[in-house]
Amino acid sequence: MKKPATIFAAFALGLAVAAGGASAAYAFQDAAAELRATGTVGEQADGYLGTVGSASAEVRAKVDQINIQRRAAYTRLAAERGVTIEEAARATACQLFATRVQPGQYYRLPDGVWRQRNGNEPVPRPAYCG
Amino acid sequence: MIRSDVHKGAVLGACLAAAATAGCVQVNAPDEPIEINLNVNIRQEVVVRLQDDARELIEQNEEIF
Repeated sequence: MKKPATIFAAFALGLAVAAGGASAAYAFQDAAAELRATGTVGEQADGYLGTVGSASAEVRAKVDQINIQRRAAYTRLAAERGVTIEEAARATACQLFATRVQPGQYYRLPDGVWRQRNGNEPVPRPAYCG
Repeated sequence: MIRSDVHKGAVLGACLAAAATAGCVQVNAPDEPIEINLNVNIRQEVVVRLQDDARELIEQNEEIF
């Protein structure tokens, strides 16, 4: 018969592992937001993430992975609506600039210059966003 | 850029003379300036119309947006 303390220890260990696993899963739930928060990744007007300055190889790999998935999403949307992938991508960037770029985070307009969102001021958007 | 025809003729003559001894690369610039068109074909009315779909796309794919 095992001591209650041992059973409790096993239970606590199991809970800790589960919590660790859950937090790892949570980390993947918003990979793009996490990357934007690093200060080395920003949103581009073309609808994709870009690296600001020199980013680690790990960050660049994550950015590439997300951009591949975004392109697939834009392709699906473009096919559904009968528009070009470019238009779907840029339309999404309009929304991303408005809703996803937090204060201090980076964004890049078609002029190619990285800027940081100034506090709570809305992020400037290209004219075609409407 | 060589604009005058006389000058062009002189260069051509020099090229022909040099052709016997070495290869000659003749570069002719176009008459009009080279235009680089950076306009990507984006229809504004389409982008505006897609805003609702874009918002939905973001909400349904939060991991990548």
